[in-house]
Amino acid sequence: MLTLLDFILRLALWLVLAPLLPGLINKVKAWVAGRRGPPVLQLYYDLARLWRKSVVLSTLASPGFILAPAVAWVALVGAALLLPLGPAGTALGFRGDVLLMIYLLALARFCTVWAALETGSAFEGMGSVREVSYAVLTEAAIIAAVLSLCVNTGGLSLGAILAPSAGAGAALLAGGLFTVLLAENCRVPFDDPNTHLELTMVHEAMILDHSGPPLAAILHGASVKLMLFSVLLVQAVVPLGDLAPLAAYGALAGGVLVVVVGVGLVESLLARFAFRQVPFLLTLAFLLCLFALLVAWKGGAA
Amino acid sequence: MIVGPLLSVAALALVAGMVGGLRRPRLWLALTLVASAALLAAAGVVLCGAAGFAGAPRAELSDVTSAQWLLGDRWEWRGEFRIGGERPHMLLDAVSALFLALLAVLGGAGAAYSHGYWSDADHPESAGAGRLWWSAMVLMMGLVLVSANGLYFLFGWELFTLAAYFLVTLGNHRRQVRAAGWLYLAASHVGTLCLFAFFVLLAERTGSWELGPFLRGHAGLAPLFWLALAGFGVKAGMFPLHVWLPSAHANAPSHVSAMLSGMALKLGIYGLVRFSGWLPLPAQAGWVVIGLGALGALFGIAFAFAQNDLKRLLAYCSVENIGVILIGLGAAVLAVTHGDAPWGRLALAGALLHVWNHGLFKALLFLGAGSVHHATGTRELSRLGGLWRKMPWTAGLFALGAVAVAGLPPLNGFVSEWLVYLGLFDAGVARGPVAWAAMPVAIVLGMAGALALASFAKAGALVFCGAPRTQRAAHAHESGAWMLGPMTALAGLCVAIGLAPALLWPVLARVAAAWNPAWAVGVEAPAPLGTLGGVHVALALLALAAAAGLWRRALNNGLRRGLTWDCGYAVPTGRMQYTGGSFAGLVAGWFAWLLQTERSLHRPRGLMPERAHRVERIPETVLERLIGPVAALVLRASSAVRRLQQGRLQSYILYLVAGLAALGLMVFLGGTP
Repeated sequence: MLTLLDFILRLALWLVLAPLLPGLINKVKAWVAGRRGPPVLQLYYDLARLWRKSVVLSTLASPGFILAPAVAWVALVGAALLLPLGPAGTALGFRGDVLLMIYLLALARFCTVWAALETGSAFEGMGSVREVSYAVLTEAAIIAAVLSLCVNTGGLSLGAILAPSAGAGAALLAGGLFTVLLAENCRVPFDDPNTHLELTMVHEAMILDHSGPPLAAILHGASVKLMLFSVLLVQAVVPLGDLAPLAAYGALAGGVLVVVVGVGLVESLLARFAFRQVPFLLTLAFLLCLFALLVAWKGGAA
Repeated sequence: MIVGPLLSVAALALVAGMVGGLRRPRLWLALTLVASAALLAAAGVVLCGAAGFAGAPRAELSDVTSAQWLLGDRWEWRGEFRIGGERPHMLLDAVSALFLALLAVLGGAGAAYSHGYWSDADHPESAGAGRLWWSAMVLMMGLVLVSANGLYFLFGWELFTLAAYFLVTLGNHRRQVRAAGWLYLAASHVGTLCLFAFFVLLAERTGSWELGPFLRGHAGLAPLFWLALAGFGVKAGMFPLHVWLPSAHANAPSHVSAMLSGMALKLGIYGLVRFSGWLPLPAQAGWVVIGLGALGALFGIAFAFAQNDLKRLLAYCSVENIGVILIGLGAAVLAVTHGDAPWGRLALAGALLHVWNHGLFKALLFLGAGSVHHATGTRELSRLGGLWRKMPWTAGLFALGAVAVAGLPPLNGFVSEWLVYLGLFDAGVARGPVAWAAMPVAIVLGMAGALALASFAKAGALVFCGAPRTQRAAHAHESGAWMLGPMTALAGLCVAIGLAPALLWPVLARVAAAWNPAWAVGVEAPAPLGTLGGVHVALALLALAAAAGLWRRALNNGLRRGLTWDCGYAVPTGRMQYTGGSFAGLVAGWFAWLLQTERSLHRPRGLMPERAHRVERIPETVLERLIGPVAALVLRASSAVRRLQQGRLQSYILYLVAGLAALGLMVFLGGTP
């Protein structure tokens, strides 16, 4: 009974809080630019509006066009639920759950790409290609990051590898995972969520043809993914396990806020990279994670 | 034990099918299905048997009895007579039963599929021969799996290779098919040559053709493992010995491709698993196997992503999956040489489960590709598209297979890759010397997984989604029940293994124990397969519920059809869509040094451009850039030598005189001839 309650609380937390993050990022960007900006709750309004809207379906699209976003949303929320939340730990920790999380993110990617290609649009094809190609490098970076955490702690479950301090490689890991966060969530400098040039986008290009409730599912899923990566990054770097429970919760929330402000600042201060430079940046992220792994290896041996 | 009669029934049914099936397809199908059922039952008895322990609850088994349970039963039979100077010796233990079960499933599914796909009506000249060789191939594969005598093993190996050759070349009126068959035959025989050397040296050093676990005692046999690796590696499509694989898989009839990819490659893996378990191993064996596996996983899938031929893409993806299996096997071998470390058992279990999984989903995908080819007459991705409307069932089943082969939860591909990952991660966390192999390989596996996702998003979506790119694609038709039925069965097995992996652990544990008796420890799974299965079931149910909910919501809100937005373009055509080449362009650029793409571009020029074209071809790099030049060199050398033999008597007299003169000169100069 208690576990069920715990589970429902977590689910509610993820579902309700996630759309806040994009709002905060937009607020930071507006603040840097000296604008007032949209309300923090803008995404909630958008989601509510989209949920009531009707759907325009491409004449080419199969039912998969609507079903795939639903599966992607379930995969993303499932991946988020596997993450521990500071002192509360995981709802269902088991050996190897970290790999399940990575592959659930991949499942969500597969579904988004599939739905994008349903429309037969060249723009959506372009976005899909970038999404799946960059994922090759981010996947390598994530596996290296997870390996460094595993080697550092000797555990194989998210609960075990995220609680203790990340050790000497924390700064490297923070840099690598932050870059991965920007790439996986299609933020500047990899992608620009604000642009209206379909030629230059990744995620936005893939969802050009979506509308109504499926678009709401995609947008909500994307916000859950952003929060997932922020929470993962904070727990991987900050030794929450060494803090008192209340302080740990505070540190987790504060850390996520710092990440969000960081994303906002990056978007305000940097321009989107040319596409040919993106692989180099991703390789840099991979190398950062790889060095974190080497540091974790040496740290244990010493 | 019941295994002997079951195997006899299967063999009789197959022989009867060879004799009686030439003209009677229904009789042949019934006989083949009976044989499949019998083989499956025999394998099942060995894999799950344990008559004495079946009744006792698992938890009450003590360590000793559970070890006995794991080591389990095996079926062994020695003939009292001699054929070819050797007594027949057959052995069905857990290792061979694992592969036999896959053979039974694929043999049956492929036979049923061919009933609709390669029917007498469509192929009057070759359908009967197809049935004959199919039965022969299944029979000979079975013989390979159960023989414990080197001579019979080689006999079965050669005959199954030949049967497969005749199956590959069933459509031999096409030139590419004949070329692919020839390449397959030649490459296979290079492998068989290594195996001849292997078995002959084995027999010479042990004094008999007998095979069995006793070989492990002969320390001098270790170097022979390299011969086995080369010989079985060719058949398994191990990178870089995979040269025959893409063209044979692409040009064979699709039920044959399914069998080649699902089972023939696995026989190569069987040989490696078998003899890495029975032979003493050289110290470097594990490092080499895991390295070749990682190489094959990454490069195989990079080649697959770049392909524009649906079946060639699937074929290269087999190179990747064989790589994954070899990674698991290599890690297990490393574990054995490093004190039977428990993580090796996980990696081995993952590799063994991947043998089944790859067999199931790759057969499903090849059958799906066959249906597409049957309906449209082409395998070119750039000529397909939008098939879901005409072939909804095939589209759905292919999409399921694509999710499975990309290793995504909640299907079976993820379970086996997860076990391999766990083995590698454990090895890394253990911080032994093996970690230096395990950690890079885990990263490579992750990249290969991402590329597999990309490849199958490309393959599935370009074929079934979007607008038809040609008229033939627009006028496709759904396949009949004989073709959809076997695909549905294979898809069902993929889902079942994904949702309930814990049920398979005892089987995997038995095979691991048969491979290395030191791992006959405890029936409990060292990985939380039960939890994973539960999560998978929950995910599948939630995904279904969410999909249904979203669908209803969309219907309630109102659903309108409109043109694809395409940034306001008013008349989009099928030709404006992304093609296979453009889809792979980005990654193909990263792997340009490996893929060596050949491009020819003819730009439109002038005010009234007459013609313009751009052609891209992905060559078979290893075959054309590596083996091709070497073969050309050999050919040139041999034709140069041949010039000596031109059949003119005068020249031969000249050779004789020159030879005598040379000898005389040597004697004259004081040398002692």
